[in-house]
Amino acid sequence: MNLPKHLARVFLSLFQKLHLGEFFRQLEFIGWRSLPTVLFCVSFAAMVTILESAFHMKMLIQNDALVPGFAALLILRELGAVIACLLLASRVGAGYAAEIASMRVTEQLDALKLLGIDRYWYLVAPRTWACALGGALLSVLACLVCLYAAFIISQVQLGQSSASFLAGMHAFVHFQDIFLAAIKGFCFGATIPVIASYYGFFGADGAEGVGQATTKSVVASSVTIIIIDFVLTWIFSHFY
Amino acid sequence: MSSQIKVALLFIATLIGVVLFGYTLGVFQPFLNQNELVVAYNFAGGLEVGSKVRVMGIPVGSVKKIEFAPGHKLPSGEEVQLLVHVSIQKDAWKTLRQDSGFFINLAGVIGEKYLEISPGSESAEPLTPGQVLRGEDPPRIDQLISQSYGLAGKALEFFNKNEGSVIETIETMNKLAVNLNVLMKQMNKTSKNQDLQGLLHDMRTLSSNLAYFSDKMRSPEGEKTLKLVNTLIHRLEGLDSKAIHKFLQEEGIKAKLF
Repeated sequence: MNLPKHLARVFLSLFQKLHLGEFFRQLEFIGWRSLPTVLFCVSFAAMVTILESAFHMKMLIQNDALVPGFAALLILRELGAVIACLLLASRVGAGYAAEIASMRVTEQLDALKLLGIDRYWYLVAPRTWACALGGALLSVLACLVCLYAAFIISQVQLGQSSASFLAGMHAFVHFQDIFLAAIKGFCFGATIPVIASYYGFFGADGAEGVGQATTKSVVASSVTIIIIDFVLTWIFSHFY
Repeated sequence: MSSQIKVALLFIATLIGVVLFGYTLGVFQPFLNQNELVVAYNFAGGLEVGSKVRVMGIPVGSVKKIEFAPGHKLPSGEEVQLLVHVSIQKDAWKTLRQDSGFFINLAGVIGEKYLEISPGSESAEPLTPGQVLRGEDPPRIDQLISQSYGLAGKALEFFNKNEGSVIETIETMNKLAVNLNVLMKQMNKTSKNQDLQGLLHDMRTLSSNLAYFSDKMRSPEGEKTLKLVNTLIHRLEGLDSKAIHKFLQEEGIKAKLF
C-alpha cells in the first residue's frame, strides 16, 4: 500500500520551506474563485434549514420562536464548514486529482524528478497549506453568510423581527463557535489535496486513469470530511 | 489584480466578518459606555457569563465574570461564596441606588436566566463603580422539593402515630357538620313562621323608633332639655320630707307625709 508512505511524505513536505508563489496562486484559486459558488450554495442551505426547522417546530410545539437560535447553532457548528468544504472537495479536489494524474500520464512528474524537484514539496505542500487555510477562511465566511441568509429568511418567511433572531442567536451561539468552524474548515481543507494527490500519483494509466482518479478523489474526500467532522464534533463537544 | 491582493482581501473580509460577528454577540463593545458592578450571591441559580442584565426590564448590560470566592466577607459581615461581575450602561446606572435590589429571574420560552436590577429610592446614595453589593439569592427548587418531601414525611408520621385520634376528630367534625346542617334547616323553617315574622317586624319597628328617639335626644334641643332636667333634679335633691313638712307648717297646712 502506498497510502502510509504517501501520508508520511506529505507530512514531511509540509514543514519544508514553502513555495510561496504557488501557495498564493493556489489560495487564490481555492479561496477567491470558490467564494461565489460556496457562498451561493450555503445561503440556500441556510434558508432550507430555517424553513425545515420552522415547519417541524410548528408541527411539534406550534411555536417557531426557537428556530433562529437552533438554526444559527447548526449553521455555525455543522452546515457552514461541512457544506463549504464538500463543495471545495468537488471543485478543487477533482481539479487537483485530474491535474496530477494528467502530469503523471504525460510524464511531467518524471520530468520534475529528473530536475531534482521534490514533487511533494512542489505540488502537494503548497496545495495542502492553501487548501487548509482556504477551507478555514471559506468556512468562516460561509458561516457568516449563512447566518445572514437565515436572518433574512426568518424575517421574510417566518415574520420574526431582527431582535428576536438576535436574541435567539444570543441564547445558543457563542463566539468560540466561529473559531471551531474555522478549525473544522482547516482540517477538512487539508484532507482534500492529500487525497487528491494520492489518487493523482498512484492511479491507473491513460485517460481512463485520470477520470478514475478524479472520481475516487471526490468520493474519498467527501467521505473523509464526513468522518473527520464526526471526530471533531466529538472532540469539540468537550469544549461547548 | 495579483493573487496576493486577492488573498489579502479574502483575509480582510474574513477578519471584518469575525469582528462583526463578535460585535453582534456582544463580545466586542467598543462604543458602549459602561460601569462595572459586583453582586454577591450564595446561589446563582443558573446565571452564566453573558447572561443579560436588565434594569426595569430593559437590557442594559451583561454578566462579565462569575468568580468563586469562598468565605468572601461583605462590609455587613455576611459571608458569600460567589461574586458576579456585571457591566451596566451609564444611562441605566443613573437610576441605581444603594438600596437597589438584584434578582435572578427567568425569561423567554427556553427559560434563560437574567439579572434584574430594581432602581432604588431617590433619597438613597448612588452606586460607585466596582462596588460590591449583596444580591437576592433565587429560591432553590431542589431545596424546596427536599423540604416538601421532609414535610410530607413528617405529616405521614403524624397521621400514622395519631391515626385513632385523627379518625375520631374527623368523625366528630362530621357529626358537628350534620348537626349544623340540622340546625340550619330548623332555622330555615322557623324563619317562615308567621308569629316569628310578626315579632321580628315589631322588633324592627321598635328599634327604628328607638333610633328616631335617640336621634332626637342627641340633637341640640334634646341635649338642652336633658341639661334642664339634670339641673331640676339637682335642685330637687335638697327637697326631703323635713323640708316639705316645715314649709307646710309655715303655711298653716297640717298634713301627714310619708
